[in-house]
Amino acid sequence: MAKKQTAKTAKPIDSKIKEAYIDFVLEHGKEPASIYKFAKDLKMTEVDFYNHFNSFKALQKHIWADFLKETIANLHAEETFVEYSSREKLLALYFTLIEVLKSNRSYAMMDLQKLRKGDLKPAFLDAFKKHFYKFVDEILLQGKETEEIIDRPVIGDRYTEGLWIQTLFILQFWANDDSKDFEKTDAAIEKAVNVAYDLMGKSPLDSMFDFAKFIFQNR
Amino acid sequence: MSERKEQSRIPISKIQRASKFVSTGAKVGGNYIKHYSKKAFNPKMDRSQLDLDNAEDIYESLSELKGSALKVAQMLSMDRNLLPPAYQEKFTMSQYSAPPLSYPLVVKTFQKTLGKSPDVIFDTFTKNAVNAASMGQVHQATKDGKKFAVKIQYPGVADSISSDLRLVRPFATRLFNMSNAELDHYMSEVEGKLMEEADYDLELRRSKEITEALAGKIEGLYFPKYYEEYSGGRVITMDWLDGVHLKEFLATNPSQETKNKIGQALWDFYNFQFHELKQVHADPHPGNFMFMDDGTMGIIDFGCIKEIPDDFYENYFALLKPGFLQDKSEIDKRFKALDFFHEKDTPAEREIFSGVFTEMIGMLSKPFQYDVFNFGNNAFFEEIYAMGERVSKMKEVRNSNGARGSKHGLYVNRTYFGLYNMLNQLDAEVKITKPEWLNGSTEKVA
Repeated sequence: MAKKQTAKTAKPIDSKIKEAYIDFVLEHGKEPASIYKFAKDLKMTEVDFYNHFNSFKALQKHIWADFLKETIANLHAEETFVEYSSREKLLALYFTLIEVLKSNRSYAMMDLQKLRKGDLKPAFLDAFKKHFYKFVDEILLQGKETEEIIDRPVIGDRYTEGLWIQTLFILQFWANDDSKDFEKTDAAIEKAVNVAYDLMGKSPLDSMFDFAKFIFQNR
Repeated sequence: MSERKEQSRIPISKIQRASKFVSTGAKVGGNYIKHYSKKAFNPKMDRSQLDLDNAEDIYESLSELKGSALKVAQMLSMDRNLLPPAYQEKFTMSQYSAPPLSYPLVVKTFQKTLGKSPDVIFDTFTKNAVNAASMGQVHQATKDGKKFAVKIQYPGVADSISSDLRLVRPFATRLFNMSNAELDHYMSEVEGKLMEEADYDLELRRSKEITEALAGKIEGLYFPKYYEEYSGGRVITMDWLDGVHLKEFLATNPSQETKNKIGQALWDFYNFQFHELKQVHADPHPGNFMFMDDGTMGIIDFGCIKEIPDDFYENYFALLKPGFLQDKSEIDKRFKALDFFHEKDTPAEREIFSGVFTEMIGMLSKPFQYDVFNFGNNAFFEEIYAMGERVSKMKEVRNSNGARGSKHGLYVNRTYFGLYNMLNQLDAEVKITKPEWLNGSTEKVA
């Protein structure tokens, strides 16, 4: 009972810190000078802050993870979502994610602009990535069951990583998109996901590989 | 046309699209080589195999592109006089096939524009598109027992129009023997119209206007109702029209009487638009007409409307006036007004072009010289086509700098070609209705 109570009260402080932090960053264009000052402005102690996050970096990660969590929650609220094929689920994830980010674009932009090309593990996306992997593993499993996706030796295990790279591409594309209502991002998502699924699906290469193996074994 | 080609790859970037065209260009080149090497052994071979090969490769490449490129394919397919018959069939197919949009994107488009998912707004909503529209796709929906057609536009269409058209350019000059100047002339008008077509708000407004103006005016025609409450941005909702496309309709062997009835309704439909409304449904491709067994017809897609300016109207239709082709000074006056002549033309050039255009007008306005015209007469169409080919090969015409003919003529001519073409396929005999001031029998030419 007592435990439940703390959980209940913890949540508001959680989001209070989060919102205050986003506010601060947006208004000042940089992180608060220190946790001490930040906590004081919020009329709480440093300890209160550390009870929830151990640094601003951790807080950042948390904010991004929440974007994705909100996205996934929105998806599950959609009735038809369960009927979607694996490909459609990934599409829906990206589309919804972009919608969620859109309402936080200014903040998201500040972090995304720091993204360097080729950096596959940006720190602020750490927790986001964990949640993404979890989601993707599920839909890949579904895809393999329905044979939308072919499980291949060795590379079959790397699909998730491939999709992660795609996610970074989409985020960057969106950050640089200046089309009306980000229509180009929509098109980019559609096309990128199609490419990914076509690559993961059965392709002539599979038959070629199979044939080559056969010849090799039987010559 | 029920089977749409699901594509295995979608060209992603502009560069990839461009390379798509380059590879088609290479293939077309290859077809020529194939043609001429075959011809070396068999001199009697004609161009039709070559044309067919080319059409196939071009079609392959265009069918992988959406939006404007598809639209250009449509345009080309309508300008029958410019195209060898082998292309015609292939391009007509492109009007039906485009790679479908995924359902999640459809849902997102709905949420963006209408704030709700399609399955919240309607009782049922097809997950897959039932039809391709030129810049989007059509889903079927029901609500309270009523069927709706919901048209959804591809994202980013408007942005890609200019770049798509630029990609088509080098291709078109080569393939259709057009000079750059001619193409410029053509492209600017086409681009403007495409931009209009991409504007669904405009389409909704115009559709409502024009269908209300037409309602009940012509027997045997009906139009869908448009629903503003389910439309906006990139979504347009209208009544679902039953019926089949021209090809399937003809396959049911309708009686000559039915075909004449439909042909007449079509003719009257365009007559009314040209002369009463002064704006015309300029997209007469078969996908926009839904035929019913009882000889009635539904007309959809008022995205491409050509408004006819007054001075152009007067000059253009004056060409059809009785005795026009006998009146030298009238010819001079109208041809100048319609930009058939250039300021800098030498008298010799003027002579040649006057001859060419007089002949073309004589031919194309032939139906207007009769009270009743049988469009099933293929000889008439072969003559037009032969003339088109002959004219396009004339040295003087090919070397002429600058395009000739008012740009407003592009869509008006296209509309007439489309109409003639459909009436031809229908094999219809039509009473030529026309406004009072064009009455009387013109001198027979050709």
